[in-house]
Amino acid sequence: MESGPTRRNDDVWVIVPCYNEGPVVRGVLEKVREHFPHVVAVDDGSRDNSASEIVAAGARLVQHPVNMGAGAAYQTGIEFALRDPDAQIFVTFDADGQHRVEDVVSMVEHLRKSDVDVLIGSRFLGTVDGMSRSRRALLRAAVVFERLTTGISLTDAHQGLRVFRRSFAGVLDLKSHDMSWASEFLTRMSEHQTTYEEYPVHVLYTDYSRAKGQRSINSVNIGVDVLINKMLRGR
Amino acid sequence: MQYIKIPLVVAAVLILVIVFRNRQRVELRAGSRVLVLALAAIAIVSIIDPDIPQAIANLLGVTRGTDLLLYLLIVVFVLTTLGLYFRLRDTDQHLRRLVRSLAIEDAIHKDGPPRPEAGQTPGSRQT
Repeated sequence: MESGPTRRNDDVWVIVPCYNEGPVVRGVLEKVREHFPHVVAVDDGSRDNSASEIVAAGARLVQHPVNMGAGAAYQTGIEFALRDPDAQIFVTFDADGQHRVEDVVSMVEHLRKSDVDVLIGSRFLGTVDGMSRSRRALLRAAVVFERLTTGISLTDAHQGLRVFRRSFAGVLDLKSHDMSWASEFLTRMSEHQTTYEEYPVHVLYTDYSRAKGQRSINSVNIGVDVLINKMLRGR
Repeated sequence: MQYIKIPLVVAAVLILVIVFRNRQRVELRAGSRVLVLALAAIAIVSIIDPDIPQAIANLLGVTRGTDLLLYLLIVVFVLTTLGLYFRLRDTDQHLRRLVRSLAIEDAIHKDGPPRPEAGQTPGSRQT
């Protein structure tokens, strides 16, 4: 593990799913590429100019011919990055600009020094700009839900900024197509008894990301999906 | 309380539990085929002699034979819906895997493997 090319994060792949993010994706990817040479953006069947913006930003483009959802897009990016034998560290990153590259840099550094396999960003250990009170309450409820269903205790269960090692990327195999991928990620961690830590991150809730983000009512869909997936796994 | 309520509630719960837990099992698929044949037999018997379903209905505490058929129909409908739901889930999963592998092969074919200096030519496969 140590002998790999760790210089300027050459062993890191940043995975960015992208669905109709044309107005912002180029800027987001260019910022990521200042620190990480290997970025794969999965265009999840966008109907706007996302694909050409991804190419213009210099990231690798993988294109879903049809829209398959965020979870499916992350899994595609991970499988693409796994084809690089030197890839050791994987990062899931949002295309709408709510995550900060500085957080990824320090998370990757932290993961190199620590011996855990997964680092999960937490908004509640860090700071949040412009999150509504109801949203905060909802995310607290999600934390309790995850604790009950996976046994993994986090301060922020639905934060998409996560950094993990190749060993975990290989077993992740996300099957959820939509936003419930974040829960499935935790389920896989508990199945494989993966070691993890939380890491404080700063999340920017801009008008753009708020407009693009999921509506709170969608948490009902996610919760039911997670429960059904749990039941079906026990076949 | 009518006796019919007991088998109906038990059936509903059993369907959910058995189907959810064992949906891949051969026995279950065999069971659904037997059920279809049994229903067809019941239908034929009911057409030939409508008094028979009526007699069974009376035995179970249902007023009319048609009601008994309605209840059976509901059970069959729930089973069918669940079966289709699982089938669709599996099909979706297969479709996602197919699209994913196409998308990755396509990207590698166009722009080369994720790490070109690894000595791979564009379009070659890496495991």
